Amino acid sequence: MRNTIAKEIIKKAKEDKRLYLIAGDAGLGVWDEYQVDFPNQYINPGVNEQCDIGFAAGMALRGHKPIFYNIAPFVLMRPYEQVRNDICYQNLPVILIGTGSGITYAPAGHTHYVVEDIGLARTMPNLDIFSPADPIEAKKCFEYAYKSHKPSYIRIPKSGEKCIHTNKDIDITKPQIIYQGKDNILFVHSSIVDEVESIISFLKEEGVSITIATVPMLSTSYNFKEILEDYSRIFTLEEHYANGGFGTILMEYCNNNKIDKKIKKFGIKNEYIHKIGNRDYLRKYYGIDAKSIAQSILQELL
Amino acid sequence: MTLDKVSKDIRRTIIKMANLSKSPHVGSALSCTDILTTLYFKVMNITKPINDDRDYFLLSKAHSAMALYATFLQKDFMTQKQIDGYYQNDGTLPAHTDRDTSDFVEISAGSLGHGLPIAVGIANSIKIAQESNKVYVLMGDGEMQEGSIWEAAMLAPKLKLDNLMVFIDHNNLQGYGRATELVSFYPIKDKWESFGWEVYEIDGHDHEVIEKVAKLESKRPKVIICKTIKGKGVSFMEDQLIWHYYIVTDEVKEKALRELI
Repeated sequence: MRNTIAKEIIKKAKEDKRLYLIAGDAGLGVWDEYQVDFPNQYINPGVNEQCDIGFAAGMALRGHKPIFYNIAPFVLMRPYEQVRNDICYQNLPVILIGTGSGITYAPAGHTHYVVEDIGLARTMPNLDIFSPADPIEAKKCFEYAYKSHKPSYIRIPKSGEKCIHTNKDIDITKPQIIYQGKDNILFVHSSIVDEVESIISFLKEEGVSITIATVPMLSTSYNFKEILEDYSRIFTLEEHYANGGFGTILMEYCNNNKIDKKIKKFGIKNEYIHKIGNRDYLRKYYGIDAKSIAQSILQELL
Repeated sequence: MTLDKVSKDIRRTIIKMANLSKSPHVGSALSCTDILTTLYFKVMNITKPINDDRDYFLLSKAHSAMALYATFLQKDFMTQKQIDGYYQNDGTLPAHTDRDTSDFVEISAGSLGHGLPIAVGIANSIKIAQESNKVYVLMGDGEMQEGSIWEAAMLAPKLKLDNLMVFIDHNNLQGYGRATELVSFYPIKDKWESFGWEVYEIDGHDHEVIEKVAKLESKRPKVIICKTIKGKGVSFMEDQLIWHYYIVTDEVKEKALRELI
């Protein structure tokens, strides 16, 4: 997804001289050519995220279209107050792109994980939140954010994710059904979509059918009512704290709209991650790998 | 009208606003009044209606917003009605700036240490567009304890922002005492110089000196350390910590206004 986003940024930078990329001393190699081709549309200001966000706001106040690219914790958490006051409160069209969503960078340690960013981002009105599941969604999310003239936060894992969509022209403001089953539905976002194929087959062996939908845009005021009507049981799965992410968003939605459906949220336990291991290891540890999820779903359906 | 008379009128408005609203920070507003007066009346190119050729003024120490609003009244950028709605229910102006309230309020601010990074962004945008607008920032001396100030201080010289000018309202009285007694930001001049800025130290109440230094050409970003007195212009408020918070009662108002004729 990182390369897809980089490609889109290069394309837009050619078309629109107002685009200005602030790459916060991250992404080795990603911007090598970009900075040669677009010297007036690029800065690596060093390791100073509070300043970078204010700086981006200042550029946007003058009509530039700044993009701040960094490892996700340093995009949203380190400069939280700058994102809140300088960008969102002032409602400026700045795009924040955070890499390493969830526990992508494991075993980097908790400082480099973002397992609470959706909860945090949701506290800021005006901010659109995107969590694409594949390069096609990532491209669409970026296009949407660029056109929106609003503050945007796009969280992506890293590079090399497979395309899950065959149709390139998807509407990212709506949940995207990527596998049609019945009775049950599982919503996912970001890279953990790579577990769903196995989840489907584990469940199939047990005679359970499930629909899988991605939710590329988490801040949408989308009417979930219609899609939920078709299913008796609803599940959410995310590489984020179980409490505070999309599962919580959906629960609130159901509560506010008097939809009486039982939702089971799967995510990382709300605790600081001291366990050491790579992403797949930690997914297993927290019970959000395909096998554990399939077993949990079967338990829920008992 | 002389500039002395203008700044006196602005101070009178501040006292009346503080009294009507029963809001704090009167000392902070009086401290920077002469800087605002000089910049808006002698230095900056900001006219009504606001236009793209204007200079930018960012009040980073936004708790002094009363001084900004009072200056706007004097410049006819705001109406008396807007001023009267300061700090009121269903009002017009908050205690810390919200840029939605007026075209002349460039940034929404209030949390310290935000103005300078934003100003660096604006100044950089102007440079890229090869335009000639200038960017002026007014910050408090206590703000120098914020890390974000030094992040921006490091970045501005790298970008060769000769269109950026920072005024530090150096009254050495922050929320709970003197910086020298809390966490000292001294030496100020050496710090900024070592970061690559052109530094001046002046009397922050001397209109002629403020104007002269503000108009000096520089190839580097410029910082002007303005030695000021908190509460300046009202003898019993001068250099008194309590006027960071104390409320201007009717009695205080009358007493203060008698000194501002």
